[in-house]
Amino acid sequence: MINYEFIIGLEVHMQINTKSKVFCECSTQFGSEPNSNTCVICTSQPGTIPILNKKAVEAVIKTGLALNFNINKESTFARKQYFYPDSPKNYQITQANPPLCSKGKLSIVVEGKEKVINITRIHLEEDAGKLVHEIGSRKLDYSLIDLNRAGVGLMELVTEPEISSPEEAFEFLSELKSIVEYLGTSECNMEEGKMRCDVNVSIRPIEQKEYGIRVEIKNINSLSGVRDAIAYEIERQKEVLDSGGKLIQETRLWKAEEKMTKSMRSKEGALDYRYFPEPDLVPFELSDSFIEGLRKEIPELPKARRTRFIKDYGLTEYAASYLTSTKAIADYYEKALDYLEDKKVSSQLLANWISTELNAKFNTSKLSILESPVSCQNLAKLVSLILNGTISGKIAKTVFDEMFKNSSSPEKIIKEKELAQISDEVIIVKICEEAIFESSKAVAEFKSGKEKAIGAIIGLVMKKSKGQANPQLVNKILIEKLKK
Amino acid sequence: MDEILKFKANDLRAKICSGEVKSLDIIKSCVTRIKRTDLKIGAFLKLNEAKSLEQATYSDKKIKNDERSGFLEGIPIAIKDNIMIKGESMTSASKYLENYVSPYDATVIEKLKKSGAIFLGRTNMDEFAMGGSTETSAYQKTANPWNIKYIPGGSSGGSAAAVSAGMVPFALGSDTGGSVRQPASFCGIVGYKPSYGLISRYGVCALASSFDQIGILSRSVKDSALLASAIVGKDYRDPVCEPKDWIDFVSYIDNDIEKLKAIKIGVPKQLFNYKIDAEILENFDKAVNKLKFSGAEIIEIDIQAYKYVPALYKVIMCAEVSANIATFDGIRYGYRSRNARNLDDEYTKSRTESLGYEVKKRILFGTYVLSAKNYYRCYHQAQKVRTLLINQITDAYKRCDFIFSPTTLQMPVEFGEVLQEECDIFLIAANLAGLPGITVPFGFTNSGMPVGMHFMGSRFSDVRLFQIASAFEKISGFDVNKYPEL
Repeated sequence: MINYEFIIGLEVHMQINTKSKVFCECSTQFGSEPNSNTCVICTSQPGTIPILNKKAVEAVIKTGLALNFNINKESTFARKQYFYPDSPKNYQITQANPPLCSKGKLSIVVEGKEKVINITRIHLEEDAGKLVHEIGSRKLDYSLIDLNRAGVGLMELVTEPEISSPEEAFEFLSELKSIVEYLGTSECNMEEGKMRCDVNVSIRPIEQKEYGIRVEIKNINSLSGVRDAIAYEIERQKEVLDSGGKLIQETRLWKAEEKMTKSMRSKEGALDYRYFPEPDLVPFELSDSFIEGLRKEIPELPKARRTRFIKDYGLTEYAASYLTSTKAIADYYEKALDYLEDKKVSSQLLANWISTELNAKFNTSKLSILESPVSCQNLAKLVSLILNGTISGKIAKTVFDEMFKNSSSPEKIIKEKELAQISDEVIIVKICEEAIFESSKAVAEFKSGKEKAIGAIIGLVMKKSKGQANPQLVNKILIEKLKK
Repeated sequence: MDEILKFKANDLRAKICSGEVKSLDIIKSCVTRIKRTDLKIGAFLKLNEAKSLEQATYSDKKIKNDERSGFLEGIPIAIKDNIMIKGESMTSASKYLENYVSPYDATVIEKLKKSGAIFLGRTNMDEFAMGGSTETSAYQKTANPWNIKYIPGGSSGGSAAAVSAGMVPFALGSDTGGSVRQPASFCGIVGYKPSYGLISRYGVCALASSFDQIGILSRSVKDSALLASAIVGKDYRDPVCEPKDWIDFVSYIDNDIEKLKAIKIGVPKQLFNYKIDAEILENFDKAVNKLKFSGAEIIEIDIQAYKYVPALYKVIMCAEVSANIATFDGIRYGYRSRNARNLDDEYTKSRTESLGYEVKKRILFGTYVLSAKNYYRCYHQAQKVRTLLINQITDAYKRCDFIFSPTTLQMPVEFGEVLQEECDIFLIAANLAGLPGITVPFGFTNSGMPVGMHFMGSRFSDVRLFQIASAFEKISGFDVNKYPEL
């Protein structure tokens, strides 16, 4: 058996989060009526000229700064030429050399080990439109073109071929996504196509110096898809080489349903894009103060925030990672924590509620944390009600369900549904006496030494009290009574 | 010919404002003249008769009621058919755009609409402005009004012929490699190309974006200055357009020949490396002597890179053409072949059937010079030589104020004959370096064809260029009131 080394590089396209397109004033709103977000510029009418959107440049630079890039103060645009109906000019305005950002890096943690991945470049370019081949389930015998997306700003990030496993690629993208979401420079939604990732994979025997044949994989539309596609492709390439076959340089498509890659085209007739400098846009020069101004706008990034959460709030690594995975969740957590008195005691419990109960609700309801029906203040209240013994953890879950359903406060729900924990001894003694009276068999067993039999009696007490009796008190009182 | 047509645009402006002349009468005269002569000339692709008459009536009413009138209120103007006017056709003289209707106004059109100018009609041109004879138009030939056997020059040949024949006082053209100044010279009128970045290109069907400028064709330097004042100004829609304040060029023009005193005129010695038409050379010598006599100092300058001008222009222009014309693919608007079976077929057939020979030739050449294999050898090299040329010209301006030459090295040829490659090199140099240039008619050959002289200024010296050209116009002795017999 030959041992192989895997060489993986990523090309990530992220739609820049600006209100208008990168070279015209059209809206970038996703899901609008086809061709409603278009104008004479982005449909390439004769005589039109692109106008650069400054906000898009700012977004790329901010992203570059957050990833430790060098910002090239003098940058130009280029025309990349190819004919395709979704590209109205039949060339794409992009950047050749120098790009806006060169030489960045991102550190990731895989299986407890830290690794730095170098990133070659980030450049600014425009997106293409979309071809439509079917309406609903009806296949068309012609194609329609929707140019709403044509001219939306994209940043393309290209890594060095330094990723060596599907897990590393997954981690890299998760970390990248999280940073970019923190910056707000892209929504990075892979399902809406706002983040797209092409993967280059090659393998070589460990002792071999030169690179193997590189295969590009396109059409991946989820983070786990990237991981699965790489894992599949590595196995495929191994099988070809182990069976004495030869790999060819080609582009393959990831088929998510079949969980396999399929050949799309070989690279031999590689396209000549005939790049040349874009004459309609003047080369731009960025001042140091402009760049430094953007640096000041960069918020605390996920890694720093994670470390701070562990240090300041005593959270577990897992909880801190989950909470800082998006800025919205971390902000929610810190806002909720602000409402709580004793942060040292409440921080972990609050974290648990967000990462388990709230997270589960989002998964089933498809809502995001920004749309959460449970406000931070209400979740904080719920946690303090648990901590002060007003309700048990179990009741809290019932209360929480109501809170998520009706956005109401926990106090209101507890009052309306009479869910407050009963800690009044007189009442509990009375219920316990009733339960003992009705459980003669269990009582007899207990008295004969079978201590476990008390469970049945506790169960009856909880049933009679609709789960509201304070479990510690019930336990204590029953033992007192039974041992008399 | 109607006397009213002999007034310059500046005079018409004054006379319309004072009520002495009615816009309606001007338009009527223009229309009559066009109807009588344009069958022979073929300058116009489209005449807006009804709409122009309507607008003229409106302008006259405004003036009569003392309402605020525009900068060019009631004055007719012809527009080259590659400039966008909302709701009107814009063919660029190509079959591809035969049924195209402009969805917006070019910036210059927006300004002219505000100024109250009347768009009399659209003039013929070479297809997508590719050519120097107006013969590549997909629609018609345009003849030189001074001798209808000859080409009017191009690509703005329709605009030049219309002004020359007295059909309209002035016209807009576009100048990528001499396309305003060469036909102006061939037709015996003034042709002005502004500094690159002085006038917005927004709404002009692009040929080669780094050279394209809107230009003006008129019967006098002052009329060019008048129209320039109406269309100049910063425009956020054209990123190469410089953020300069509005300039009233006309106010600087006083026909003062004193301006020629103590001015340094550079004559490139490379001029004499070329085969120049004998009568052009004769006229040039006369022009130089007249300048000297008026007090100008003539200095020989040395710009060796002139010899590269034809080649480097061809490489960069065709490269940009190949990308700019790519949008004409039969998909979203314009000509679409009915015989296509699939996507590639649709591209190929739509373009094959609708684009002319010259256009295809330039697309192919541009594609060749930009291909990965040839990029450094051709395109990149040409850009380096362009920088060299610009540096040499900049150096020359340390010794002189203007560079002076005959506008063309050759007289117009008969239809079907080909001009030599070097004919326009002194014009193309201005496009390559982004400089302003103006041609002023100077004299006639023995066979009665006009000869023009060309001044090229440094970047954004347009005001002084107008002043010098206007002074030269005065000393030239050229009879601007002489019209071709039609």
